Amino acid sequence: MRTQLALFVALLTFVGVALTYVVVLGLLHR
Amino acid sequence: MRRLLRDNGLVLFFATIFLLALLGQAVAGFYAFNDDQVAGGAAPVSWTTYLTSSDFGTDVAENWQSEYLQFALYILATVYLVQRGSPESKAVGEQGTESEQDQRIGAHARHDSPAAARASGPRLWWYSNSLGLTMGVIFFGSWTAQAVAGHAAYNAQQLLDFQDPLGFGEYLAGPDFWDRTLQNWQSEFLAILSMALLSIYLRQRGSPESKPVGASHSATGVEG
Repeated sequence: MRTQLALFVALLTFVGVALTYVVVLGLLHR
Repeated sequence: MRRLLRDNGLVLFFATIFLLALLGQAVAGFYAFNDDQVAGGAAPVSWTTYLTSSDFGTDVAENWQSEYLQFALYILATVYLVQRGSPESKAVGEQGTESEQDQRIGAHARHDSPAAARASGPRLWWYSNSLGLTMGVIFFGSWTAQAVAGHAAYNAQQLLDFQDPLGFGEYLAGPDFWDRTLQNWQSEFLAILSMALLSIYLRQRGSPESKPVGASHSATGVEG
């Protein structure tokens, strides 16, 4: 199950980083 | 390697087509954005500038929020609501959060149950609701990202059109935010409704999302 846990963490990290990126972009371009 | 691909085929397949579709959106969105720029009398931008624009950000986030809302609502609604004949539903009469025995928690946990299933109090509550909560948190995060980036993108367009920019509150109360939001929500709700209803009478042999081909139309909560 180590691979599945790595994929799980990778997804949550990707989504978290992507959303933070979009929010920061929006704030920078206000 | 072969085993890794086989055991994770579903996630890897969707991860691949997700990245390809996102790349496609980044390319098509870039050309559409520059068409608007030129039509508005502004200079076209580079691809990297587009990728760091709030236009790209809000276009991505508005679709994400609706997908996560769809799953969050689906996960929560199917706890309390049933649909007779649908493999997406629990059996009629099983509405609610079910007994500790059914859920294998507390004294009913098995040797391979997650440790949190043996716990009690807040730890058990959080773990018992972790899937819906996570989908809900990502939904609100994406919706917030859509709002913040959408506000910036909207104001950039306003300036290009020699119009006054809006405050954040005005943007949230205005039609652009709700048009972007609701056009995505309506399609997600229709998709869920279609899945719950079509799967009563239609089958997909071999799919766990369908009843077995020979299952009765009235069988509820039986997956193939």
